[in-house]
Amino acid sequence: MNTAFLLSAALLGLAIPASADEFTFDASEFEKKTFEFSGYLEQKEEGLKLRSSSPAYSLAYPGKSVQDHLLRSTTTLELSGKLNLDPVVVDVRAQAFHADDQLASSSDRGTVMEGGVRWSAGPGLTVDVGKRVQRWGKGYAWSPVGFIERPKDASDPQSSREGFVIASAEWTKSLAGPVSAVGLSGFVVPTDGSRLNQDFGAERDLNPAAKLYLLAWDTDIDFLWRGKGARPESFGIDFSRNLTSALEVHGEWARFRDAPRNTASASGVTQQTESDATSWLVGLRYLTQSEVTWIVEYYRNGLGYDAGELDDYYTFLDTALADGAAPMLEEKARRVAQSGYGRSNPGRDYLYLKASVSEPLGWVYGAASLTAMTNLKDRSWQLTPEVSYTGFNNVEIRARAFFLHGASHTEFGEKTASRRVEVYARFFF
Amino acid sequence: MKTNKLLAFAALCFPLLTVAVDGVNLLKKVDRNLEPESYESYRKLINVEPDGTKKEFVIYSVKKGKDQVATLFLSPTSDKGRTTLRQGDNMWLYIPSVGKPMRITSLQSVTGGVFNNADIMRLDYAVEYDVKAVEETGDTYQLDLKAKTGEVAYDRLKMTVDKKLVLPTQIEAYASSGMLMKTLYFKDIKDFGGGIKRPATVETDSPLYKGYKSVMLYSGLKKKDFPDEVFTQGFMARMEELRK
Repeated sequence: MNTAFLLSAALLGLAIPASADEFTFDASEFEKKTFEFSGYLEQKEEGLKLRSSSPAYSLAYPGKSVQDHLLRSTTTLELSGKLNLDPVVVDVRAQAFHADDQLASSSDRGTVMEGGVRWSAGPGLTVDVGKRVQRWGKGYAWSPVGFIERPKDASDPQSSREGFVIASAEWTKSLAGPVSAVGLSGFVVPTDGSRLNQDFGAERDLNPAAKLYLLAWDTDIDFLWRGKGARPESFGIDFSRNLTSALEVHGEWARFRDAPRNTASASGVTQQTESDATSWLVGLRYLTQSEVTWIVEYYRNGLGYDAGELDDYYTFLDTALADGAAPMLEEKARRVAQSGYGRSNPGRDYLYLKASVSEPLGWVYGAASLTAMTNLKDRSWQLTPEVSYTGFNNVEIRARAFFLHGASHTEFGEKTASRRVEVYARFFF
Repeated sequence: MKTNKLLAFAALCFPLLTVAVDGVNLLKKVDRNLEPESYESYRKLINVEPDGTKKEFVIYSVKKGKDQVATLFLSPTSDKGRTTLRQGDNMWLYIPSVGKPMRITSLQSVTGGVFNNADIMRLDYAVEYDVKAVEETGDTYQLDLKAKTGEVAYDRLKMTVDKKLVLPTQIEAYASSGMLMKTLYFKDIKDFGGGIKRPATVETDSPLYKGYKSVMLYSGLKKKDFPDEVFTQGFMARMEELRK
């Protein structure tokens, strides 16, 4: 292949066929570095069809003009650094964003999502201190046993989350026999009643927690515990197992002792009760011959609200946020929303179904999926088609649409937007 | 007379028995010539599209014993830090942003393209396959291999082995339906030191991905032993510690 041909091909934009001769690889180019720096820049564009007459709209955009449609533009920058000082690793991951739409503008100049120091005393023993995201549980969309982490967003379960400041030690041992691995981890999530882990709890406490992991009879099993402290005592178990090379089954069970639960009547009378509650989840993941991955999960949220309780809450919001209502009522509506009803999935019973396919119709590096999530008590639902592409080096492109449907006073029938389309490009460096 | 018949029958059977034994030993020798039982290596995976566009991945791999394999993605940046773990038929993927190991299956592909997870986290052939037949043809042996269980990614392999080097030159992988899933071509014999001399390039194409091919390049392959704890889920986020 002569220079003239290469030049002509480049000028004409022709792809040069790859041949074995041009493949070279020298591992020394990938030697471990003492300091590593990486990150991504993400640009996201969203279009929303708003329910401008809903109470959720009034809560989200207090005092703003009525808009039926909204265009939002969000820029996110995430930076990560790692210092490898064998056997100690110091790392940090921070995120900043700026979002703009016709109704509001918001910014965060920088939040440390995770960061700390890890000391590896050996292959089976580590000690870690810092802000960390613990991801307990085997559930895909929800994790009822996620005792010491911020909850997942079932609409985007793999999205980045902020950690809590945690001190932990983990011991792992590999064994011969049916129990082939055992791991024991201890955690402390301190709260000082002020700024330290403020979102975890308002009381001054050490908040201990522990996890025992077993790989037994080819099944991942975790026993999990959170001691009484700023949050109530809880314990649980999770498991995951491949029944065949194409079928995985998983589950979680969590018990909460004396867990507080806030309710509001249709007239706005609020009440807090403490009682034991059980949440659980069961799911499976199945890869078909045609390479379609199905994920199905049923989630029972023992602390959630049934259809009648949600109806009462929305009835109260209708009154409290109506034109001419007393400002005190609006303030109370805001407090009630933050007391539990405002969670992304406040209901009691959910079904989640996702069908995804990698490289559909021979579209290499492409992926497509369709996700349905329904609140089984009030029969409202959300449907999310999605496509993504990772074929360009260090670029990820993703587009999703959300269609929400439900009767009046149902979970998905009362969300701020009835339709949403989003497209983002993420550039890794 | 009866004794003579028995002797004649035994004489007729002897070559068949020899072939069966030789087949298993031959496959074990192929395995050891490809890699030590426990090792570390660096690999570059290149997916080549019909228009010549390429996407490259660089991974660091470690293996211990018969059925423990772990890999760490070093490149591209968007995949850096991802790790995979295999313990027998169990496979997990750890993505730093997701933060917990997820079970994956052998037929899925963490890289996309023609190589699937079983190709990337391959165990010894003799661990996963029985030798059904061996045929000598000129400078090569033809091995017909059948998966020991239904959990193995390919039901049948037809392996062409260079007689002199006792290394594969080509492997055809078939599904249980008899459909050809892919063909692997072993090229570019290289001395990696420490007595390891093997193909440094493995190319593959597949009738399921017409016009596409994937290439795996080996570098830094050397015998190394690791503690068993390296092959546990708890270590997946810490695999970088193995690289010096």
